[in-house]
Amino acid sequence: MMLRHLTRRTILGAASLIFLAPGLAKATPADDATAFVASFGGQLLNILNSHAPLTQKRDALMPLLRANVDVQGIARYCLGRYWKQATETQQKIYLALFEDVLLNAVTAQMGAYEDISFKLVNSTPSPAGQKVTLQITRPHHPAINMTAVISGTPPKVVDLFGEGASMRMTQRSDYTAYLTRNGGEVQTLINALKRQLGR
Amino acid sequence: MARTGSITQTNHRMGYTQRTLVACLALLCLGACSAIRNPPPKDPDDLADYKAANDPYEPLNRKMFSLNMWAYHKALRPVGKFWQKNVPQPIRSSISTLNETWRQPAVFFSDVGAGKPRLAGDSFMRYVINMSLGVAGFFDVASLVGYKQHETDPGMVMALWGIKPGPYLFLPGIGPSNFRDSIGYAIGQGLTPINYVPRGYGLISFNWGYNILGTFNIFADSTDQLDQLEHQSLDPYAFLRSAWQQQRQSQIDALKADHRATTPDWY
Repeated sequence: MMLRHLTRRTILGAASLIFLAPGLAKATPADDATAFVASFGGQLLNILNSHAPLTQKRDALMPLLRANVDVQGIARYCLGRYWKQATETQQKIYLALFEDVLLNAVTAQMGAYEDISFKLVNSTPSPAGQKVTLQITRPHHPAINMTAVISGTPPKVVDLFGEGASMRMTQRSDYTAYLTRNGGEVQTLINALKRQLGR
Repeated sequence: MARTGSITQTNHRMGYTQRTLVACLALLCLGACSAIRNPPPKDPDDLADYKAANDPYEPLNRKMFSLNMWAYHKALRPVGKFWQKNVPQPIRSSISTLNETWRQPAVFFSDVGAGKPRLAGDSFMRYVINMSLGVAGFFDVASLVGYKQHETDPGMVMALWGIKPGPYLFLPGIGPSNFRDSIGYAIGQGLTPINYVPRGYGLISFNWGYNILGTFNIFADSTDQLDQLEHQSLDPYAFLRSAWQQQRQSQIDALKADHRATTPDWY
């Protein structure tokens, strides 16, 4: 009798596993990445589309970016081989400056990105992470596609692709070229970033 | 014998003079080369960056970029801004459509060259529809009936044929390119019928108008991007080079991956 119960449970358990397995397999990582982008994108749009003053939007934006974008990882990637050359103090200053540069880049475009909406187009795996493509629409403008690369636990944005170009790779080329042409000292880059933020 | 000797001497003298001249010229060329070409660096990290950038003619390219940006600030930006402010968006869109439609034959032949019949069909239909219902290309009627605009050019075709891009080039007035795409650009111009308008015809004024208005439109469309590029990068030249190289590769990859059926959607 007990054996029959066990067998029944085993069969039921195995059957449910068989039925659940494809669902579980589907839930990671593509669905997780898509759900993450939908949630993060929604929160971002709430801020961008709100009629709050720019300073208030900026204040609301930074915690959201910190929570959902791997700012430190991107910053390290952008510095490339010069990261190891930098002292600990320089690394800290650079990371803080990079956050501000990122925030400035987003807030500079805020005016152009009001009343926007987006829809998820597709999601494909890649060595850097799950690539989720969004179609962004603005009033009186043609729709544009943007791809976010999602990786890590908890998931975070590690890169953005616009018109086929990786933003972090482009930024890295910018910083590396600047450093190569200006003596290769990280302090030079830090000074330049300070000037850039000041202008 | 003496004469022979004198000729030989003269020949020797001339040979020496020639050799000196050649050596001087070679030195001048080398000097010029070092001004236009960067030798590969010895440091392994620098060498990796050098190879990734694929830009041995960086010194020359940077000069061309500076020249371009000088012209941009002195003339092109003011014209572009004026155009943006004073020409209504529908007229700017019509000029863009006109330019795009008249370039369509080059796109069609490129699609054929790339072996992409579906895209070739799209560009063919776009040309026929926009030249007729779109009033000589002023209105994009083709997009409304499902033939969306796309860009294929001879440089992309050569890439699909396996031809390597060659070093990066910055061409003033044209922008980022490479050896392969520069040749592709010339071929594309050759495949554009407007460039064959005979002299003396009334159409020549249309050709001028077409080119000038198209150029103003491009200035107007690109001013914001160029301003942003200058504002947000520490080395705008390197930023643009990297973005363009990646974008170009992604266009080629997308063309390569286009395996859609030849039959249109409605079939």
